[in-house]
Amino acid sequence: MELDELKSIWKMGAPSFQPKDEDEIAAMLKGKSTSIVDKLKRSAWFELIFTVVVSIGLLIYALTLPLGALKWISISILVMFLAYTFYYVKKLMVLNHFDPGNENIRAHLTSLIDNLSGYLKFYKRSYTVLYPVFFCLFLLFIAFEQGWDNFVENIAKPIVIINLSALAAFYFFMSTWVVNWYVKKLYGNHLEKLKKLLNDIHG
Amino acid sequence: MAIEEEKKFISLINEHQGLIHKICIMYENDPDVRNDLFQEIVFQLWKSFSSFRGESKITTWMYRIALNTAISGFRKQTRNVKTEDLKEMHFNISDSWGEDREENIQRLQWAIRQLSEIERAMIMMALEEVPYEEIAETIGITQNNVRVRMNRIREKLKKLMSN
Repeated sequence: MELDELKSIWKMGAPSFQPKDEDEIAAMLKGKSTSIVDKLKRSAWFELIFTVVVSIGLLIYALTLPLGALKWISISILVMFLAYTFYYVKKLMVLNHFDPGNENIRAHLTSLIDNLSGYLKFYKRSYTVLYPVFFCLFLLFIAFEQGWDNFVENIAKPIVIINLSALAAFYFFMSTWVVNWYVKKLYGNHLEKLKKLLNDIHG
Repeated sequence: MAIEEEKKFISLINEHQGLIHKICIMYENDPDVRNDLFQEIVFQLWKSFSSFRGESKITTWMYRIALNTAISGFRKQTRNVKTEDLKEMHFNISDSWGEDREENIQRLQWAIRQLSEIERAMIMMALEEVPYEEIAETIGITQNNVRVRMNRIREKLKKLMSN
């Protein structure tokens, strides 16, 4: 069967459709996009606003605290949030430059895969690092608050060892299994689909 | 000025909406999801309209954005039409080609849906008489590669349609 034969069959019965009128088309321009880039943008905006709002709340709270473990924990979290704010702003700048109109399908898929992989890697790394950091900070500031000798004495008690082990197990579970599950649920499956499509173009 | 631009765009979509509908039909089975896809394509075209400088043909630009949206979209997954669904289409399979026009059309559309998303994009453009040069430009491969791939796609379609 030659291509011309296929063309003649295609032309005989182009798929039928219900044409949209101009009002319907005009309404579509005001809709909300479901594209992955727009979803990433919305996520980044949400996370940026959330981080800024929580940081302001935390700053106000930290200013009212007396010197001690809680104040230091609040300040450490604030410093981390500041680093996240820079990341979200940078991410939004990259996403705003994304224009599918200027790229062919291969370039579009490559950019999407790069963007999405970077985003997911960041998620995974930040949470994998974040939970152990919180755990160590928690211990450090308790030691700071109680004094080193008291801290060593308390930490040697069997009930404290059991509680700390349970807490460490919880942190480990959160920073590995839960993060992996969440990252995959977010966009992991879609990333696999995009990679398969790119391989198909190369194939 | 913005209203003028919007009017110009709407009239452009009105004129070429067949192209978008065909892509939606080939990439989505569910009518509701298909409608969402149509809307998403129009939305993406509108977003890029201001950056279109006429360096390529308007249809090439439309194919590029519409196919990018259809292929890489993050939509609710719907079931693809599988081989066994052919039976549900109640085809009256004739012995030779050309005997039943309606059957041939349905078979071709069904066979195209069995291809990979990239192959579907290539064959759709070829059937719409888009030159190989533009297909290559839209997909991001060489013209030679398009030729090789088109031969493979033609073979696949031949097999699928004769099963």
